[in-house]
Amino acid sequence: MSKFRILVIDDHAMVLGGTTTALKTHYSDAELHTAQTAQQGLEQIKVLNPDVIVIDLSMPEKTGDIAKVDHGIQLLRQIMTDYPNLNIVVQSAHVKSLVRIKSAIAGHEGGFTIADKGLSMQEMLTKVDWAMQGVVFTPKEMRNGIEMKAEWLDVLRLAFEEGLQDKGIAERINVAERTVRHYWSKIQDVLDVYPDEGKNIRIQTEKRAREEGLID
Amino acid sequence: MYNQLRQRLRRGIERWEISLLPGGMTIALVVFLRWFGGLQGLEWMVFDRFLRSRPPEGMDRRILIVGINEQDIQQLGTYPVPDRELAAVIRQLQQWKPAVIGLDVFRDQPVPIGATELNQVFKTQKNVIGIEKRLGMADAVVVNAPIALPREQVGFVDAALDGDGALRRSLLFTEDAQGVVYPSLSMVLAESYLNQKGIEIQPGIRDLDSMRFGSVELPRIHGRMGGYSHLDANGLVSLINFRSGHRPFRVVSLRDLKSGKVSPDWVRDAVVLVGIMSPAVRDYVNSQAIESENPALIYGVEAQAHAVSQLISAGENGRSFIQVWAWPWEYLWIVSWGGVGIVLGWVVRSPWKWLLGLGIGVGMIVGAGYGMIVVAWWIPVVPTLGVFLINGAGLTAFYRYDQGLRSRLQERQSIIDETFNAIHNGPLQSLAMLRRSSKDDRLTRESLLEQLEGLDQSIRNIYEAMMREALNPEASVYTSDRLRLNLGEPLHEVLQQVYGDVLERELPCFSSIKVKVVNFEVLDEKLLTVELKRGICRFLEEALCNVGKHAIGVTRLEVRCGQMEGRQGVCVVDNGQGVLTEREGMGTQQARRLAKRLRGRFERSVRASKGVSCELSWKGRR
Repeated sequence: MSKFRILVIDDHAMVLGGTTTALKTHYSDAELHTAQTAQQGLEQIKVLNPDVIVIDLSMPEKTGDIAKVDHGIQLLRQIMTDYPNLNIVVQSAHVKSLVRIKSAIAGHEGGFTIADKGLSMQEMLTKVDWAMQGVVFTPKEMRNGIEMKAEWLDVLRLAFEEGLQDKGIAERINVAERTVRHYWSKIQDVLDVYPDEGKNIRIQTEKRAREEGLID
Repeated sequence: MYNQLRQRLRRGIERWEISLLPGGMTIALVVFLRWFGGLQGLEWMVFDRFLRSRPPEGMDRRILIVGINEQDIQQLGTYPVPDRELAAVIRQLQQWKPAVIGLDVFRDQPVPIGATELNQVFKTQKNVIGIEKRLGMADAVVVNAPIALPREQVGFVDAALDGDGALRRSLLFTEDAQGVVYPSLSMVLAESYLNQKGIEIQPGIRDLDSMRFGSVELPRIHGRMGGYSHLDANGLVSLINFRSGHRPFRVVSLRDLKSGKVSPDWVRDAVVLVGIMSPAVRDYVNSQAIESENPALIYGVEAQAHAVSQLISAGENGRSFIQVWAWPWEYLWIVSWGGVGIVLGWVVRSPWKWLLGLGIGVGMIVGAGYGMIVVAWWIPVVPTLGVFLINGAGLTAFYRYDQGLRSRLQERQSIIDETFNAIHNGPLQSLAMLRRSSKDDRLTRESLLEQLEGLDQSIRNIYEAMMREALNPEASVYTSDRLRLNLGEPLHEVLQQVYGDVLERELPCFSSIKVKVVNFEVLDEKLLTVELKRGICRFLEEALCNVGKHAIGVTRLEVRCGQMEGRQGVCVVDNGQGVLTEREGMGTQQARRLAKRLRGRFERSVRASKGVSCELSWKGRR
């Protein structure tokens, strides 16, 4: 596996240190970079083209500014517009404020996981792993129950009622195959189905979808 | 700036009963007044004033006036001037070979002494023209020509005076009851002069009833023309294009002639007019159009000189007669300026720009009027100025008042709406819930208390929110029961939060929802004011609350926000049991009003399968 790049954006030096140390131990072959402001973060992404970013919501716009959640939200908006395929891990104590950009998150095509700062380091690392696999994870309090997009419902129906594979689904709904895969990540997040050692995620998804009455 | 003007124009057209109606009525009134002659006097005044102010044209040396003045009469010691004196004057002038001599003195009866001498002159000299008066008015006596003069050597001197007694028109030919046509003195003199110069007088080309002097056609004045609302066609009449300048003609007295002060060159080939210029004789006409010491009065013989001068100048120099537009064009000109006045009064807000516009408009109307007079066109000034000023200045005050009143009313209405919306979507909903659960007997004492406290709190919240907004009206904030959202954020994100908030409320029908199909996409907000955005949020809140309250058995809720078939909007669809009537009410009225302000539509309909669809959409770019 070639060397991959991780960018950590956090204005707290301590948190930054802790996170990078953990990441370093976990991914011995990763190239680690850090940024402490929104501005630096954007510049680094442009230069490094990282595989995954770990971002705190509360941060200053420029060096010397006061850290605000708004800056973090604005930065996230910007990143999701400019890099729709970037894998993102949001590490924050203000998860609720992400509700504001739910529509942007729903449209983001890269992995997107949210890790509450209260989580253990091991759980945090899992979220980074997931993000790199393109998994979407949002905490339950951010969602209003089963909240789907019309296209996602189509994917479920075509896969489990008509037995189509991703390629077939992509042709039927006229999108790229990787978009279908990204739809699956979204669907799995809505249905609370996440990667689990030794379990087939598609079968889990089908089971949950039937439970929720999304397919017959 | 442009957009703003366009908007105001559009509002002006929408509110035509305020903007266009009074202005249009003013125009109609002025047109009516002019049509029936109510503005004639004023128009004549301005016409005279402009004629008087033209640059001088210099003396017309082809015309010499021999004016027998008070001093001459004193010297003769008798009046009327005896025939012998007149015969002597003519004989003396004839030595110097004038083109033609007009004797602007009545001689229907001989005035002793010397009748035979004068009759001799009349009989033998072909270039002497005498005068008569033809058009007897009820109280005026018709004066005959000298009996000795052949018919072709006679011209009439009747003047066509206007209602204010002033001379502006020149009568060239007239017709008697038998259809015999008679020429005026000025016509006979001009024809004689021009014939000697080899210039022909021919029938008109554009107007067959008129005539051409050389290449210049004389515009006939009749009926509704220029400032005249009605003119009798009593023959061939033209406006007099008075020769401008302080001394348009050379005037000599009888004494000058006798004492040899008159140069033969002044007489040779000239039109010589002999007439009385004595205040005692009172051969005057009124005219304001001539620059002189006493502009109100000019001698009859001077008036004849002007009339002759314009005819021979046309023939010899191609000088224009005064022309007028056909009346439809005149009225178009007037109505157009009335329209400009309305637009100025309605559209321009800044007082300085308004004053400037008013000044420019007045300058253009007066300038055009004067400029046209200089090139011998008489266009309407008074009615044009009238409609422009009344509409541009007078009605502005009215418009301003109306607009001020309207914006105050609008403000008040929006506060009332805001307040009611807040109460309706918050406490009233809780109250409805409370009522329902008390009917169902599910209410425990504790939960009653709890809900009442919630109600109390939400009413207080409204007051606080309204205060905040009233004190800071610019604040772009949407407040509902529990939320306070910044409307400066992208609207679709704000709407998504409103959606999230409502769905967390404990409304009875939400519990059965299995799947929510949700899509919030970017909206074009360029044309949305804060107030409209707030209204759209309220709409979504209300629509979702309705689902929560009425859509019994709903399992699927669809919420869309974004582009929809070329338009954009917000749409809430459920599959519960719903009857429309249940959901009509204040909410629907609010939504209709909002749709109107968005220039969009609001639709609420029962779906064929099951459930209710509620949609608000308006035009917008992606």
